[in-house]
Amino acid sequence: MSNLEKPLLDARDLIVGYPSGGHYSRPVNGASLTIRPREVVGLIGDAGSGKSTLALALMGLVQAPGRILGGSVEFGGQDLTKLSEDELRAFRGRDISAIVQNPRGALNPLIRIGEQISNAYRAHTRATPAEGRAKAIEMLTMVGINDPERRVNAYAHELSGGMAQRAMIAMALAAKPRLLIADEPTSGLDVTIQAQLLDQMWQTVQDTESAILLVSQDLGAIANYCDRVLALHDGKIVEDAPVRQFFAMPQHDYSKEILGLHHAQGDRFPEQVSDAANDILEVEKLRMEFPVRNSDNVVHAVGDFRLNIKAGEAVGLVGESGSGKTTVGRCLVRLLDPTESIIRFDGFDIGSLDQRSMRKFRSRIQFVFQDPFDSVNPRWSVSDILIEPLRQLADMSRAERRKRAEEVMELVGLPVELLERKPRGLGAGILQRINIARALICEPEFLVLDEPTSVLAPRARNALIELLGKLQKELGIALLFITHDLTTVRYLCQRVAVMYLGQIVEEGSVEQVFTAPRHPYSQALLEAHLFPDPDHRRVDHPSDSALDGEIPSPIDLPTGCYLASRCPHADETCRSIPQNLSVLSDGQTVRCWKAEHEEEPAEMAPATKTG
Amino acid sequence: MNEFADTTFAAPKRRFNWLFAIGVTIVAGVTLLALIGPYIGPYDPTLTTPRVSVPPPSLSEIPGLLFGSFSNTLEHPPHWMGTDSSGYDVFSRVIAAPRTDLTIALAANFVSLGIGAVLGLLAGYFRNWGTELLMRVSDVLQSFPVFISAMVLVALAGRSMGNIVLALALVYTPIYIRLTRAEVLQKKVAGYVEAARAMGTPEIAIAFRHVLPNSMTPALIQSSVTIGFAILLTSGLSFVGAGVRPPTPEWGLSISTGANQIILGEWWPSVFPGIAISITVFGFAVLGNALEERYE
Repeated sequence: MSNLEKPLLDARDLIVGYPSGGHYSRPVNGASLTIRPREVVGLIGDAGSGKSTLALALMGLVQAPGRILGGSVEFGGQDLTKLSEDELRAFRGRDISAIVQNPRGALNPLIRIGEQISNAYRAHTRATPAEGRAKAIEMLTMVGINDPERRVNAYAHELSGGMAQRAMIAMALAAKPRLLIADEPTSGLDVTIQAQLLDQMWQTVQDTESAILLVSQDLGAIANYCDRVLALHDGKIVEDAPVRQFFAMPQHDYSKEILGLHHAQGDRFPEQVSDAANDILEVEKLRMEFPVRNSDNVVHAVGDFRLNIKAGEAVGLVGESGSGKTTVGRCLVRLLDPTESIIRFDGFDIGSLDQRSMRKFRSRIQFVFQDPFDSVNPRWSVSDILIEPLRQLADMSRAERRKRAEEVMELVGLPVELLERKPRGLGAGILQRINIARALICEPEFLVLDEPTSVLAPRARNALIELLGKLQKELGIALLFITHDLTTVRYLCQRVAVMYLGQIVEEGSVEQVFTAPRHPYSQALLEAHLFPDPDHRRVDHPSDSALDGEIPSPIDLPTGCYLASRCPHADETCRSIPQNLSVLSDGQTVRCWKAEHEEEPAEMAPATKTG
Repeated sequence: MNEFADTTFAAPKRRFNWLFAIGVTIVAGVTLLALIGPYIGPYDPTLTTPRVSVPPPSLSEIPGLLFGSFSNTLEHPPHWMGTDSSGYDVFSRVIAAPRTDLTIALAANFVSLGIGAVLGLLAGYFRNWGTELLMRVSDVLQSFPVFISAMVLVALAGRSMGNIVLALALVYTPIYIRLTRAEVLQKKVAGYVEAARAMGTPEIAIAFRHVLPNSMTPALIQSSVTIGFAILLTSGLSFVGAGVRPPTPEWGLSISTGANQIILGEWWPSVFPGIAISITVFGFAVLGNALEERYE
């Protein structure tokens, strides 16, 4: 693509303001950017940095009561900021269209999706309803929806999240726009689906010769699909660089900060804990079933789960949503009562203790929840929140508790003054540190973290992961880190266990699993994960280990290997014989008879190499 | 974009809420009367005067009477709202009545709020056959017409202020049980509840310390509306003879006494207390509305 080509869209000094307290706050304050034809441009920035506001403003859209206060958006020779609402409407959909974050919210629940796509198409062409329907089928085929003739008649609620998002893409691209603005198109979707979807979007846009503005907080998505990266900070575009240059040599401080973790680690893996260390946790058997209401069925959330964790060791537990990761975490800290279990903590079986006897262990095992906003009582001060475990579990005077609260605040890098505040108005990063501080206040030996970084913006996420790494080294706590973010596991954990449909399918050191995954599911998961590495872009290396479809229902489990229906290597044996977890010669365990018999681990591009 | 060019914006938070202001003013006024009403009237509200069925002064007489009452030149203080057929000064009784009405309404509200919130918490937090039974009982209570239930209860237990309070509290408790329970069902799955459980906090402590304080907002907002309607119900009970005993100053009682004379053209003993009830109930209702808008 030639840089000399005339830009498709050219925004100059764009300012968007929202009235607040008599003046305007300006989430976008003088942003300038260009997008050239057929180019994929990434826009990255913190949550609340105005990414979405900027993306919408490029289409002349501002959510009331905000307005565009200045600047210009030139597109096809016209300044969009000067057009009337009617003239703009002609532009949208035909020349620029958008995909928003929440696909189900954006689709009309009362109109069949085929008709919605057809309407979007017919709004800008003179097509008849029949042609519109044909177009809808064509578009649904293009975005990779199976059985499009049937799906055109579906309503939004009949589609899964991934399919609804595909339908949105089909609708956005129906009139062949010259620019597609995709605002976090895959947030909330699973990694495997996310990769499929972005692949499909990328491919469709290549075929229709459109340009994309991909708005994302995810460095992985940016690195894998974009040609050029724009960083938005303080309402301005602070960096505009080709993707490799952006990742290799970021210029602006903000870019350096979000790429900090990525650069700090390089190619190293975390050091292993010495073999002499005792097992702090031995899960010999863990099964958890939930009854389904008004039926005799049960949901097999976790079946035959086994895992050992050494004192001071960080273990990552990864898998798609619905794989039972969180249920395992909750069973281990006994927030749930497992159906069947032998969970030995420091030699004692805590799996079948009643809640009263469990209290003895509460100070030694703690849990950090996924949603930092939800996990602190909004009416309590930070100080009360922190010392609640001490009140319950420790025999301490008021002054001692206060002193301990100040210690843990320091430990997680927060100012002591915050103790008097209430959680309201504190950011996700700070709240998650408070949650971690609360978990640490009783000096536990084992900490379960349930996706602690999933709602954080890139900067806060990096800082939190660094903090966790530091805490683990300094305090020698064993961690079970539940996540779907493989980049984090690679940075933080010594060992990793991959879960699928309530079972561990592979377990080994992070180095073993990340460089040579043996189970087809781990291979697919690693393949689908978007590592922030522009030198190994997905779009440049088509792969064959992708899984078909979505995770099966945990109510009717398959007879043989649970993955058989999605696995590219599956045969009759796989479908009929249940698979067992077996230990290989190098200590790695895998639940796949084919992998056991293979002499060499499966070939795999070193996807984790960094620049 | 340009359609906003001539519009000026003020942040929504700063907008002065007229409804809220009116509600607060009326509620404050009624509360003030409940405190000092019986002492500031020109006559003792519980004693009759020798002048029966005196109509209120006409508009043209008011300035003269005002001057007269300030300069102390009248033979007796004026009857601003007239007197009723027994010789009670209507004005003195109207401003003394909030002490009775508001006390009953507030007491009934807070008794039912207290009981309702605790039962609602238990019903929402611990769901078992006992709490399900509680909910069905409260359904049955709620399915009787409020007025009839209160009337029957007072008729059975006797016409005292305490019994009226209890009767009203009983009919309002199911509302609070329901409101609190619905909120508790949402709040009991919050992360901070699980976090408290993970640190070994006993369930009952989690329910009262974490869930209850976070589930009270709808019930507190409902309070304002309930107080208004409790005043209306108190008056209604007096009107049908199941309320406080005369000569306690009470709006419903005044209306009821005056009602017999309306046919003779004596409208004032009933109309003035009626207006007072309307304004008060309106005040509490708009306050409730405004609070609801603000906190939801």
